[in-house]
Amino acid sequence: MEKQRGFKVLLVDDEDIFREATARQLTVRGFNVLTANCGEAALPLVQNENPEVVVLDQEMPGMHGSETFLEIKKINPLVEVIMLTGNTSVENAIELMQQGTFDYLMKPIDINELLYKIEDAYTRKKLNEEQQQDVGL
Amino acid sequence: MRVWDTSHLLDTIPADRTTAEQSFDQADSQANIARIRLHFKQLQTRLILGLVLGFLLPNAFLAAYFHFEFTHTLKKTAMLNLAAVAESQKNTIDLYLQERVVNLYNLFHSKDFTLAPTPVQMENYLYYLKQYNDGFVDVGFLDAKGVQIGYAGPYPTLLGKDYSNETWYKNLFSENKNYLISDIYLGFRKVPHFTIATRQVFDGRTYVMRATLDPDKLFLFLRAISQGKEVESTLVNRQGQYQVMDSGRSRLPGSSEYIPPDTAASGVEEIKRDDQPVLVAYTWLKETHWALLAMQPVTVAQAGMYRARLVLSISFIAIGLVISTIVFFTIKKLVARARRMAEKGQQLQEMLAHASKLASIGELAAGVAHEINNPLAIIMATSGVIRDMLNPEFDLDHSPEAICKELSVVDAAATRAKGITRKLQDMGKSRVPCSIPCDINALVDEVVNRLKKVEFKSKRIEVVTQYSPEVPHILAEPDPLRQVFGNILINAGDAITDKGTITISTEAKEGTIYVTIADTGKGISPENLPRIFNPFFTTKGGGKGTGLGLSIAASIVKYLGGTIMVNSLQGTGSLFTVLLPINVQATTFKEQKK
Repeated sequence: MEKQRGFKVLLVDDEDIFREATARQLTVRGFNVLTANCGEAALPLVQNENPEVVVLDQEMPGMHGSETFLEIKKINPLVEVIMLTGNTSVENAIELMQQGTFDYLMKPIDINELLYKIEDAYTRKKLNEEQQQDVGL
Repeated sequence: MRVWDTSHLLDTIPADRTTAEQSFDQADSQANIARIRLHFKQLQTRLILGLVLGFLLPNAFLAAYFHFEFTHTLKKTAMLNLAAVAESQKNTIDLYLQERVVNLYNLFHSKDFTLAPTPVQMENYLYYLKQYNDGFVDVGFLDAKGVQIGYAGPYPTLLGKDYSNETWYKNLFSENKNYLISDIYLGFRKVPHFTIATRQVFDGRTYVMRATLDPDKLFLFLRAISQGKEVESTLVNRQGQYQVMDSGRSRLPGSSEYIPPDTAASGVEEIKRDDQPVLVAYTWLKETHWALLAMQPVTVAQAGMYRARLVLSISFIAIGLVISTIVFFTIKKLVARARRMAEKGQQLQEMLAHASKLASIGELAAGVAHEINNPLAIIMATSGVIRDMLNPEFDLDHSPEAICKELSVVDAAATRAKGITRKLQDMGKSRVPCSIPCDINALVDEVVNRLKKVEFKSKRIEVVTQYSPEVPHILAEPDPLRQVFGNILINAGDAITDKGTITISTEAKEGTIYVTIADTGKGISPENLPRIFNPFFTTKGGGKGTGLGLSIAASIVKYLGGTIMVNSLQGTGSLFTVLLPINVQATTFKEQKK
């Protein structure tokens, strides 16, 4: 049995089958997975469920991934966001990283790669929280 | 209301363009450059012709007009000048003759005058006359019977001669004049001369004093007064016989080719002499029946005019040549500059088109990547799930049924990817010319009926059709046309959330079929309107749309020589108008069918 990692990951993607399959893979690997099919649905979950890491699709109808990312950061600046997309360019990736995304992954993804990225993102979030607490003291 | 049409869209370039196609582009570019060069060459020729017709010809006509006016005026002036010279010379000759008559007449009133003069007296008279003019040759005194009873001069044999039968003697009495100047004649002395005679009555008897004038002297006098005027003057009688002659001749001078008319006192005419045009001014003398002729070759008379004409002609040709040369080279330079700019513009346009094509290829590649990667992501994620199911560590349901269920998801994703590649092939493949006449009304109706059964079934969509019976057949493949109307109608249905109307109408006018599809759906936002025909552009999420439908529709319609226009107002609805050109063969088919 895989160890329980005990932190929440929010997976946002408009592709229902991909979202559910990925969620199932993450769940069996010990993550507490929340899912949303669009940016608008993701924001209340960030607000109420306080996920540690958000895996966010870039190309979505309605609120675009980049927009959703900015809104998420407004709600919780410490949450780490990993962008997912079926299409990317170096310029786009650099631009998003400069805006504060943790990393950028291109579909199709290897589940283990996603796993490592989520864990790294979680580690950085924790470090950032500790740093903030130190400053607060 | 925002309007957008597909006519501006660049052709979608497949990513695997062949070398042959690229070579065609280069040949096309060279053909464009050749066309531009030909165009500017024609422009240059037209401009130069325009210069010749618009500038040189009117100027040539103007120059010709002024030339003829100038020639006419100068000719008239030359004639007037010659007439003035002739008049002046006539006056001088008249005065000369009057003086000679007076000289002779004065002899009757000299102190030693007697009716029987002695030879000494006659010699004195001759001496007296020669003092006034050396043209006097001799002098004689004739009694009432006409016999010369006194004489002094070089012909002493003339003493005693009876002149009563001489023409001049008779004319002196018949014309009832006191004096007479005869025409030139030979007389008793057989030498050309002319006589001046005066008469005086004494005691009822008429006596005559006559003298002879040397024609040579008159000739020299005439030549002297003509000098410096470039005019040849002479004297002729009514018959046209010359009355002056060059010295050294013993016979009478000949006749002039020109006989002046005695109907006018004076005049100027142009005659031919030795095939050369000559101006002749004539004027009749007062003292005798002679006319003074002043002659001047036209070339001399109008020498100034010829000079002016020559200067004018040379100036006109020189100015014309200079202006033409300047304008020619200026036009050539300007046209060459414009041509270079046009060529550069053409090259830039081609570069822009090429860059745009590259951008289209980039966009297409990005779209393809996105649309293919999504089903691939599903496949990978699902295969990961299956792997997890088979992993004992996770203790999941790994029954054949459960695994089959996951595999069907993989199949569905693979089918989706296949559908995308097939649509891409449809969009990119070249179409062969079709030969099937299509009834647009029937075709649209067929598509509508199919959609009503599936796509429109879940919503309350009312479809209203207004087909014009005048719409002719067109030659086209029916399947692509079904795709065109099907894709537009599916979008119209998708735009309607729950309930709405789709109105379809057809119409044929001015060689074009108009198929309009109006929906009462949510409309298209102004920022999305220019992008709706771009490949992979979609507002439908969750893998519902590939974003290729309208792109394919635009591609098909463009291939058929038509265009798609879109009017849309967000929140109200959209109006798609498909314009298809009517081809002649299909129209003929319909008529045959009728």
